[in-house]
Amino acid sequence: MEFGSLLLKGFSVALTPVNLAWLLGGSILGTLFGMIPGFGPSTGIALLLPLCLGLRPETALIAMAAIYYGAMFGGSRSSILMNVPGDSAAVASCFDGYPMARNGQAEAALAVSAVASLMGGLFASVAFTLLALPAARIALRFGPPETFCLMVFSLAATAAVSRENLLKGLISLVLGLMISTVGLDSPSGVSRFTFGLEQLQTGFSFVVVILGIYGFSEVLINLETLALETARPLQLEFRWIQISMAHWRRSIGPILRQSPVGFLIGILPGAGAGIAALRAYRNEKKRSPHPEEFGKGAVEGLAAPEAANNACSIGAMLPMMTLGVPGSGTAAVMLGGLLLCGLQPGPLLFEPQPGIGWAVIASLFLGNFACAVINLPLAGFLVRILSIPPKAFYPFVVAVSFLGLYTVNFSVTDLYLLVGMGICGYLMKKFRIPTGPLVLASVVGSSVESSFRQSLELSGGSPSIFFRSSISSGLLLAAALALAWPLVAGWWSRWKVSKPAERPGE
Amino acid sequence: MRPNALVGFAAAILGGLYTIQVHRLPKAIAGDASSPVSFPLALGLLMTVLGILLVLQEARHGLTNLEGVKRPAFTAPSLRTIFRTVAASLLYAFLFERLGFFVSTLGFLGTLLYLINGRRAWKLNAALALGFTLGAWALFVQLFELPLP
Repeated sequence: MEFGSLLLKGFSVALTPVNLAWLLGGSILGTLFGMIPGFGPSTGIALLLPLCLGLRPETALIAMAAIYYGAMFGGSRSSILMNVPGDSAAVASCFDGYPMARNGQAEAALAVSAVASLMGGLFASVAFTLLALPAARIALRFGPPETFCLMVFSLAATAAVSRENLLKGLISLVLGLMISTVGLDSPSGVSRFTFGLEQLQTGFSFVVVILGIYGFSEVLINLETLALETARPLQLEFRWIQISMAHWRRSIGPILRQSPVGFLIGILPGAGAGIAALRAYRNEKKRSPHPEEFGKGAVEGLAAPEAANNACSIGAMLPMMTLGVPGSGTAAVMLGGLLLCGLQPGPLLFEPQPGIGWAVIASLFLGNFACAVINLPLAGFLVRILSIPPKAFYPFVVAVSFLGLYTVNFSVTDLYLLVGMGICGYLMKKFRIPTGPLVLASVVGSSVESSFRQSLELSGGSPSIFFRSSISSGLLLAAALALAWPLVAGWWSRWKVSKPAERPGE
Repeated sequence: MRPNALVGFAAAILGGLYTIQVHRLPKAIAGDASSPVSFPLALGLLMTVLGILLVLQEARHGLTNLEGVKRPAFTAPSLRTIFRTVAASLLYAFLFERLGFFVSTLGFLGTLLYLINGRRAWKLNAALALGFTLGAWALFVQLFELPLP
């Protein structure tokens, strides 16, 4: 009953004209950002971030969430039509989506992906609704030591799940935390790492890091392939985009099986929609009686990753909104948006004033339908954007990053820092250092430090406080396991491929 | 040298420099004197240790052994474009408040579009630069009432 009344209240907020307009705008923007290769939800939300200052908090969050799942819908368009994934979450959609389009089934592929995304999104929205309140209530019992340990777990897991070297993930993480220590330390009044520059007293804004990494450095990386960008053949004329009964029958099973998988992977810190989509694809291929059809246009091979990646994007918002801990780079950007709006992400979004949290949940249901409308009847119109080479967008992304950042603090120093952060992000990407942990750490860095210091103050300086409660020690154990996991997994896979004769005891 | 070893060296040096800076920070006058220092100190030491570990990890294969290693590729044309984009961005930051939003943004966008589309598309570049500048002004100043210089 409680869920029902709170959800109704959420719908009453989400259905106001302003919120509906931003929901629709965010869905379209997300779809477009998802479509354009080289960009993704992180860039889309990052560019919108400064505008959060001019919006009501719930409106800003509704718009950011719409961009996030809108990008999941849109990402598959370029996968299906051009065999170029819009972002990492849409990689798996290339495997069978593009062969379907090549076989003259582009409309069917577009329809299957949109319907699968819708179903995955709706499943995740229901799961979010059921889990939000219990999770927020657990978080309300957290004191500074538990908050610190939760953040340590989240950061450690994000660094560990980074696809590159674990040590490089941790280096990226510590760099982000270092950046967050720049500026005036408010409890003590001590200036840290400002090198006498007055402009750095207010600190190194996380917006600089976000726009530098997801805006400016993305453009620098994309500029490298400028000469290689050629016009690809693209189908722009479509028959009616709709799902047939035969395709529906083949899709519904994978959708129902892989949506929960995507949602659960989304909740886990660090594991993104790309991992969810690939896992879902592998799961379906493994259980299929015709695995040989996968990669040649199997409907199941398209429906499964599409349902999973959208469910994952909504799952990733759950820890961010209820616990105040982002589980991915994109969720960290959203968390940054909330902080810019003056809100403290976490259980207080749901209790005692539930307006914002439930409005966002209600918007998830509405937004997924909006995205389905955008991606079914309007897909033929929207995909025309794919005929514009991505390079045409780069100057505007840079300019929006600059202008948006300036309006946050009205400081030119931030613009110089943005360029510096963009170069840093470019070098990190060139040397295959994951940037997600850096962004995450720069956003939550000050909270990590303040909860660390508050905990030590409570215990009179003894670090044993982090092991006193079962929650905090459990979270630290989980952090240790997360860090150990890549090592164990690497050892296990090496052991599996080694010849049986070489195995100890055989 | 192996790219990861380079990253390790850079991290160790950064961690070392950061730790030295931490030692130069003033102590807090009120409360626990070391409270503004303890967290950054832990970070500096951790970064140094991580950097050293990465170097040691790479040293097992030989620091200069590049067999099977994917090195970051930097080509002259792409570096030139990136350098020009960065230079234009720094100039934009320098001129933004001095020349004002309109002139600086128009010039900046025109430069970036020229770098990407070339000289031949100058009419399109000019139209896009002007359109974007006017659109951004309408969005930020008129719609969101955010002042721009």
